[in-house]
Amino acid sequence: MQQGWLSNWLVKHEVVHRSLGFDHRGIETLQIKAEDWDSIAVILYVYGYNYLRSQCAYDVAPGGSLASVYHLTRIQYGIDNPEEVCIKVFAQKDNPRIPSVFWIWRSSDFQERESFDMVGISYDNHPRLKRILMPESWIGWPLRKDYITPNFYEIQDAH
Amino acid sequence: MSLPLTRKDLMIVNMGPQHPSMHGVLRLIVTLDGEDVIDCEPILGYLHRGMEKIAENRTIIQYLPYVTRWDYLATMFTEAITVNAPEFLENIQIPQRASYIRVIMLELSRIASHLLWLGPFMADLGAQTPFFYIFRERELIYDLFEAATGMRMMHNYFRIGGVAADLPYGWIDKCLDFCDYFLRGVIEYQQLITQNPIFLERVEGVGFISGEEAVNWGLSGPMLRASGIQWDLRKVDLYESYNQFDWKVQWQKEGDSLARYLVRIGEMRESIKIIQQAVEKIPGGPYENLEVRRFKKAKNSEWNDFEYRFLGKKPSPNFELSKQELYARVEAPKGELGIYLVGDDSLFPWRWKIRPPGFINLQILPQLVKKMKLADIMTILGSIDIIMGEVDR
Repeated sequence: MQQGWLSNWLVKHEVVHRSLGFDHRGIETLQIKAEDWDSIAVILYVYGYNYLRSQCAYDVAPGGSLASVYHLTRIQYGIDNPEEVCIKVFAQKDNPRIPSVFWIWRSSDFQERESFDMVGISYDNHPRLKRILMPESWIGWPLRKDYITPNFYEIQDAH
Repeated sequence: MSLPLTRKDLMIVNMGPQHPSMHGVLRLIVTLDGEDVIDCEPILGYLHRGMEKIAENRTIIQYLPYVTRWDYLATMFTEAITVNAPEFLENIQIPQRASYIRVIMLELSRIASHLLWLGPFMADLGAQTPFFYIFRERELIYDLFEAATGMRMMHNYFRIGGVAADLPYGWIDKCLDFCDYFLRGVIEYQQLITQNPIFLERVEGVGFISGEEAVNWGLSGPMLRASGIQWDLRKVDLYESYNQFDWKVQWQKEGDSLARYLVRIGEMRESIKIIQQAVEKIPGGPYENLEVRRFKKAKNSEWNDFEYRFLGKKPSPNFELSKQELYARVEAPKGELGIYLVGDDSLFPWRWKIRPPGFINLQILPQLVKKMKLADIMTILGSIDIIMGEVDR
C-alpha cells in the first residue's frame, strides 16, 4: 500500500502506526493503536496539526470493532492548501476504551461525548463523559449496527 | 473551582429549554454568585431526532427532503452538503450553470441566515426594532426561493449532479432588484446599530476569544474569522465556482461579540457581491448532469456503448455509494458544515456523520460566560449563533 509522507515522517521518528492509504479526496489516513494514541496525538499537535475539524465514531461491522476517526488540519497564516490528515483508532466492542484528546484539542469535548453516546466508546480522561443527545437513562448505543430500537412497533400493530 | 465571593451559597438557576433567548431548546444550568456566573453547563438533546441513524437506511434521494431540518434557517447549505458528499464520492461533475445556480442560492441562503441571526441577537440585547426590520428583507429572499424551488423554507432543490429545476423566467432580474434593495437595507442596519452607544456598551469586549483558542476549540465560520484567522472554506477548498468571483474574506482581529457582528454584516455585503457577479455571468446550458454514473467495473467504457450506464436526467433512485470514504464540507453561514461519509457498495450510506457548525461552536460557551454577568450570557450565546436543529440533529 502506498505510504503518505506523514507516514514516512512518523517512520523516520520511530512512531508506531499503520498507514491505511488515502481516502477518496487523497487525504492520508493512519491507523494508530489506542494505547499509543495519547502520546501520538501530542506529537501531531506539536508537529502543527492544531485544528481538529471533526471527530466521529462508527461501527466498522456488526460484531466487529468500533472506530474513532479524527480529521486534523494545520491552520497557518496565509496558507492556501492546508495539510490534512485523518487518524483512525480502533477499539474492541467488549471493552472499547480510547484515550481522550480533549486536553489537546478542545473541540473534541462534545464530539467525544457524542461518540460515547452513540456508539459507546469510553474516552479515558474526558472531564465530563456522559450522554449528550440521548437521555441519561438511555440503555444501548444507538448508532451501533446491532442496536435494536426499544418499544418500536410497526404502525399496523398499534390498535 | 472558584470560591463564592459574596455569599456562602451559590444559586443554581435553570435557563431553558423553553426560554425566548435560548434560540430553540437549549438548556443551561447556571451557577450564580449574585449576578456573576460561576459555572454554566449546557444540556442538549431536546431536539434530537437521530438523523444520522435515519440516514443509514435511506437512499440519498430519500434523505434529501429531510436534511433541511438540520439548520432550518440556512436550508440550502444542508442540501448542498448532502449532494456534495456523494458527488465527490462518485466523481460526478456538475454543469457550470448548475454550479452558478447553486452559488446564487447558497449566498441568498447565507444572507437569510445572517439576517435571522441579526434580529434575535439584537432582541437578546434588548433592541426589538431590528427583529421586525430583518423580516422585510428575509421575506424577499424567501419569495425568490419560492419562485425558483416552489418552497419557502424546505426547498428540496439540490440534486446529485445539479439542481431540480432551472430558474424561472424573469428570476434573474428580480434577484438583481433584490441585491440593490438589500444593499440599502444593510446601510440602514449599520446606521441603526453599528455606532449605537448602548449596543457598543453591551458587545464590546464581551465574549473574547483569542485566535489560538478559537483554533483549539475547533470554531469555524464567523466565530473563527472574528478572532483574526482568515479561514473561509470558500477560499480554502475551492468548491462550486467560488474562485470565479471577486470577493474578500471578512475577518476582524478583536475576537469579541462586536467583531462577530461586524464579520457577519460584512459577509452579507460580500454575498451580495457574489450574487451580483454570478447572475451577470451565469452561463447557459443544462442545469442538471445528464449522465449520473457509469458502471463501476467499466470506468472507461465507451460513451453510449452497451457497458455505458446512462442514467437519464434525474439521479437514479438506486444511486449507489461505493465502498470508500471521505469528509466533505461547505462553508455554511454558521461555520464549517461537514459530512463524513462511509460508503458500503449499497444504496444506503454505512455512516453519515454530520459535523454541524453550531454543535462545535457551542462548546466554548461555558468558558466564555464564566466570570461574566448573567445578562452577558444572552449576548455571548447570541453571538455564537446556534440553531438547535443542527446542534441536536
